Amino acid sequence: MENTINDKVISKNDTLAEKELKLRSKKKSELASTIIINVLIAIFALIWIIPIVWLLVTAFSKYRGIDTAHFFPAQGWTLDNFKIVLFEPDSVVQYMAWFKNTLVIAIFSCIISTVFVLMVSYVFSCMRFRGRQAMMKFSIILNMFPGVLSMIAVYFVMKQLGLTNSHVGMVIVYSAGSGLGYLICKGFMDTIPTSIREAARLDGASEAEIFFKIILPLSKPIIVYTVISAFLAPWADFVFAKLMLNSGISSDWTVAIGLYNMLGKDLKSHYFSIFCAGGLLISIPISALFVLMQKYYVEGVTGGASKG
Amino acid sequence: MKMRKFVALAAVASLLIGALAGCSGTADEGNGGSAASDDAIANLIANTSGTVSLTVWASEEDQAYTQGLIDEFIAQYPDVSFDIQLGSESESTCKDTVLTDIEAAADVFAFADDQINALVDAGALQPISAFYTYDVAAENAGGAVDAATVNGQLYAYPMTADNGYFMFYDSSVFTADDVQSLDSMVAAAQAAGTKIAMDLSNGWYLYSFFAGAGLELNLNDDGVTNTCTWNAAGGTDVAQAIMDYVATGVVVNMTDDEQATALANGEVSACVNGTWRAETAENAWGANYAAAKLPTYNLAGTQTQMSSFSGCKLVGVNAYSDQIGWSMLLAEYLTNEAAQVGRFNARGLGPSNIAAASSPDVQANPAIAALAAQADYATPQRVGGNYWAPAQTLGEILSSGNPDGIDLQTLLDTAVEGIEAPVA
Amino acid sequence: MASKHEVHASNTREAFANFFKGIGEYFSDFGKAITKGDIGVKLSTIFMGAGYFARKKYIVGILATLFEALFVVMCIFYAAPNLAKFGTLGTTVRSTQFDPVTMQNTVIKGDNSFLILLNSVIALFLIFVFILLWIHNIKRAYELQQDSEKGMHINTFVEDVKSLVNGRFNITLLTLPTIGVILMNVIPILILIAIAFTNYDQQHMPPSALFTWVGITNFKNILSLSNNSAFGYAFFKVLGWTLVWAFFSTFTCFLGGIVMAKLITYRKVKFPKFWRTLFVVTIAVPQFVTLLLVRYFFGDTGIVNSICSSIGVTDFLKTIGLVKSHLTYIPFLTSPGWSKFMIVMINIWVGVPYQMLVATGVLINIPESQVESAKLDGANAWQIFWHVTMPYVMFVEGPTLITDFVRNINNFNVIYLLTQDTFVTTNQQLANANAKEVDLLVTWLFRLTNDYYNYKMASVIGIIVFIICAVFSLIAFSKFLSGGREESYQ
Repeated sequence: MENTINDKVISKNDTLAEKELKLRSKKKSELASTIIINVLIAIFALIWIIPIVWLLVTAFSKYRGIDTAHFFPAQGWTLDNFKIVLFEPDSVVQYMAWFKNTLVIAIFSCIISTVFVLMVSYVFSCMRFRGRQAMMKFSIILNMFPGVLSMIAVYFVMKQLGLTNSHVGMVIVYSAGSGLGYLICKGFMDTIPTSIREAARLDGASEAEIFFKIILPLSKPIIVYTVISAFLAPWADFVFAKLMLNSGISSDWTVAIGLYNMLGKDLKSHYFSIFCAGGLLISIPISALFVLMQKYYVEGVTGGASKG
Repeated sequence: MKMRKFVALAAVASLLIGALAGCSGTADEGNGGSAASDDAIANLIANTSGTVSLTVWASEEDQAYTQGLIDEFIAQYPDVSFDIQLGSESESTCKDTVLTDIEAAADVFAFADDQINALVDAGALQPISAFYTYDVAAENAGGAVDAATVNGQLYAYPMTADNGYFMFYDSSVFTADDVQSLDSMVAAAQAAGTKIAMDLSNGWYLYSFFAGAGLELNLNDDGVTNTCTWNAAGGTDVAQAIMDYVATGVVVNMTDDEQATALANGEVSACVNGTWRAETAENAWGANYAAAKLPTYNLAGTQTQMSSFSGCKLVGVNAYSDQIGWSMLLAEYLTNEAAQVGRFNARGLGPSNIAAASSPDVQANPAIAALAAQADYATPQRVGGNYWAPAQTLGEILSSGNPDGIDLQTLLDTAVEGIEAPVA
Repeated sequence: MASKHEVHASNTREAFANFFKGIGEYFSDFGKAITKGDIGVKLSTIFMGAGYFARKKYIVGILATLFEALFVVMCIFYAAPNLAKFGTLGTTVRSTQFDPVTMQNTVIKGDNSFLILLNSVIALFLIFVFILLWIHNIKRAYELQQDSEKGMHINTFVEDVKSLVNGRFNITLLTLPTIGVILMNVIPILILIAIAFTNYDQQHMPPSALFTWVGITNFKNILSLSNNSAFGYAFFKVLGWTLVWAFFSTFTCFLGGIVMAKLITYRKVKFPKFWRTLFVVTIAVPQFVTLLLVRYFFGDTGIVNSICSSIGVTDFLKTIGLVKSHLTYIPFLTSPGWSKFMIVMINIWVGVPYQMLVATGVLINIPESQVESAKLDGANAWQIFWHVTMPYVMFVEGPTLITDFVRNINNFNVIYLLTQDTFVTTNQQLANANAKEVDLLVTWLFRLTNDYYNYKMASVIGIIVFIICAVFSLIAFSKFLSGGREESYQ
């Protein structure tokens, strides 16, 4: 980086002949630095991808336990792990049921979360009313409170409502408090020029019309960002899910509890490769989602992050 | 209906008095229950209307077998409609889930006997004051019944009696004489270039050295805190002995799953572990697979027999169950002689039922035989929650050769302080 | 610097002054409404609909009175029975008697301290909300009275409803999210706070046993070191590592993300899209899968150790003293020093791709003019990075940096998944308090509640964690939220 700019500065004063000479050596050094930098990034990529590759190859391993001596499966390759995960449910592996449960929970909690976040963000970003600042600060503080701490209380509140061991309860747990996470979305809406809203208001549009017809269409990137974030939460959470879905009936579980359970003390020597296969299978749709939505996701998070 | 109930009540009155007088149990070997308990069951059937909904928790590995038993149980009572759900909950962590919300826990659940105090303290277990289909107290081994008893009251049905540990070994490396003493085992392993594995940084196994030396670890009457004498005279000798064995490089500290891998790789030729590793060991050593009681070890010059924790798996009935009667019957069914024999055949688990345990098949199983031999030196596991973390740390320090060079007495004093600490 | 502080201080002071002024106005308005209101307003202190009836707003009046009636019903059937026991948290212990003949338990139903506490907190909260609405209602009635005296138009019911999608749209939008937050956040936090003042632990566990109020005993226990040395010692030790961890994990990921983004967008790099996708894929695998995987990867007998010992890395580390000589492996996740280092490293692995994604977006948006003018001034790449790029990135990402910091204080997943069941502490004092060197406050709390049912202590520590996080974020955010920052870009 440094070289190229220095070269440019110096080269201004060079004669034509010197310039040609420089150009040749520059080409050489350019090539060298290109190679170096590409090798460097390849090394980084390798570091990042190795565990994923391990996940991949272990998922195809004939050996069911954790092979600590070999990176690639020493006992041969097989598709059996996937077959068990997808088509042969037993009491431990109910993958398709888990997948379905998680998908349903994720879809509903994602819808509710997104709607909540958008509503709260709009209010805080585009409307002015008494107590707004106080509410915003209060929300930020509340949002700092880690869910793990109040888990037991949440559990019993849900139990009072008769919503433990139910997927409706899980949806509520994942989405009810989502309004607090308005910060990034509000930041994004702050970047939408006020003049647009003012003009609409002069045309006689109500706040609701402004919200639905002007702000929402302009917020596409942040909506995608919110949707992805909210959609991913149920796939990754095992603490709340384990507490809430405590009937022991494994077909009611989510993917996260099911997979986590496979690594229990008594099970992991028989189920590790199946765990990998299951882990790999959920990663595929999520990766696809990420890669497809990458552009919006980046726009959303950076647009939003650009202001608190 | 009312009339019938009344008659039954009168008929069972004698049983009641008998039970209160101390001759607990109504078992009548051979026909599975006396007339009085049959009446109680008939009475229960008569008083049951609608569907009986029960939840049962058994470990993941036990699901298939337990489901079979449940189906048989349902078939026994054709007049009653059952809805019995089988959930999976590891026996070793059952307490954690039950105590979080007892009312939401299963009606019938299996758990390891070390959790019985916590469960009884929390009022989660239904006291078992009457038997209906077999005599739980008389048909099970005394140790197993003790393990299910708290303050003289039986609280659970023994299911297996194999939750202890002993020595697995490769008979091509060690002779039957070698495994009598840890020193000769070390010598043999050294000669063969293999290792002896034990989970030293785990209070459960570490106990074997200290208890073998006669030092005590007991649960106090409050059911939560411990009394421990490991820092008394002789304690440092035990600590030194452990460090000396580790220093040979032959005795290695490995967790259970590290042992599984090491067994498969052929790195270790002996390990201190329990029946759950029998399959792994058998696969690794084939015909050379063998098991024995724990060896003696060199305690400041004297050969001392290693002790161990004995353990059972129990089936308990939730005190908050809406269907106490059916839950008790089901729990009896899951633990009776036939069920235990079947469980041994299906999964190789050692029965607590005396008759089941004396069958030739069970006797021929090396792991169960080793466990039986170790039983003379084993004590039931009765420790409060504060034992585990300090003991684990003590084991970790000793098995890593006391790297910071802490005075052994200080080390033990601190550990005992933690083990005996009140529950904050 | 000094002036900045002053500005800040005066901002805070002003905020406080405004806060109290607001409260003062709130009550003086209320007093005015009661004293100066007509009979309708005065009656509405008893019948909430009265003020509306007086202005011929019958539908609103009926709704308000219905609401009040509902509240009274709630008080009688829900609040009163629970609040009656709130002082003692219950006195009857459950007892059962088994009848071997009927095979049934005769149950004397006991009190459940936890449910009494929970329901009382909810009831008190509802009463509090009702009082606020009641005051608001009276003030509103007075406003209507003033409006009608001035001969101003009074909204019909239809107009009122319409205003909910226009002038009062904020109420429409905020209602559901607020209810959700109250249910999932506010009530649980209030319960947690209440538990900190009780003796709720393994010996006092509902439903079979009762617990009761103990005042500030639990707080005394944790803050006075002499009383319970292991606990106090562990608390400060864990707190220290929590803060160190939060600092390092936040900044390594942040800087790593920027460097990585710079690297990938660098013009000499071939196939930037390919590389980026590669990194993004690592985000997509759920954290608990990768973390558990990595834990076995770096286990004492794990594959990395197998490789390291076969190529001699283990022996090399032993000779330079980084690995203790008695070990035959590198204790990646089992010795305090190594595991702290590895946890931060693994967290980089987990966090950098995400930060890279964000940083890529931010870097693209850097105003080109600033970079150009810096170049014209003869700045080299390094100088541009530090004096143009970084300030911009800091400006843009500042707020998220703070959120990340607080999130890392509570980063349960990384620590729990990497060290649970495998890390054994060799510090006996920590072990005596059920803590480990690598524990964050949250993971320690989780163990205290999950394995030891020590709810009272967990609540105390929970409150302390909350205070730390709240103070930290309030200070930081007052900088970003106050003033014209919000509007400056619109």
